Amino acid sequence: MSFQEKNVAVSFVSFVLVLGVYLIGIMRMVLSGGLNSTSLFRLWGLIIIMAIFFTIAATILTHILSAIVEAIRTGNEDPQIEDIADERDKLIDLQGTKATYTISSIGSGLAMLTFVLGQNALVLFSLLILASLVAQIAGDVYRLGLYRRGF
Amino acid sequence: MGKNPISNNIRKLRFFQNEMTQKELAEKVGVSRQTIVAIENAKYSPSLELAFRIAYVFDSPLEEVFSYEPKDDPV
Repeated sequence: MSFQEKNVAVSFVSFVLVLGVYLIGIMRMVLSGGLNSTSLFRLWGLIIIMAIFFTIAATILTHILSAIVEAIRTGNEDPQIEDIADERDKLIDLQGTKATYTISSIGSGLAMLTFVLGQNALVLFSLLILASLVAQIAGDVYRLGLYRRGF
Repeated sequence: MGKNPISNNIRKLRFFQNEMTQKELAEKVGVSRQTIVAIENAKYSPSLELAFRIAYVFDSPLEEVFSYEPKDDPV
């Protein structure tokens, strides 16, 4: 597994965790009847901060773990990590981004449709961030698929 | 996924280049070892520039390294 592929795998796990936190937060609000704009936007803030933090932390963690594994494997105290993104990595990233944007657009459209059909605006905002998280995860899954089966 | 119409002789050419490793070839052409693995296994078709760089390393013409067999006649 290349460094770039590990990065995508770690991003996938991170966003699954963020999605889990988001869904638990929303479920709690719905079950307790506390779904209001203040608590929803607080959750939005938390999710965005978590996503940024996890993305940065995941990249650092991947670097550290790759260096440790490489040092053990080669016995070299100063291991060389192959962290360059070549043309294949860039192409896979582009395809993944395309999948992310497509799913995000469909999700945003569906979220707006709920508003048009008379649902509360909070439902629209809840679905918007849900669509973004699901799109990010789907993009990572698609990238991992391209790394594994080729294209 | 259909069969890749582009096949290659990289494995054979590496063997004749004193058993050049995938890592050595990757370093010479400026890509990761995984990309060389994917090209060798016909899971990725390289760009024209990368194909030329690989052929240059083996000091062979492009058609000796890569060959193209169309599934259907495109003409």
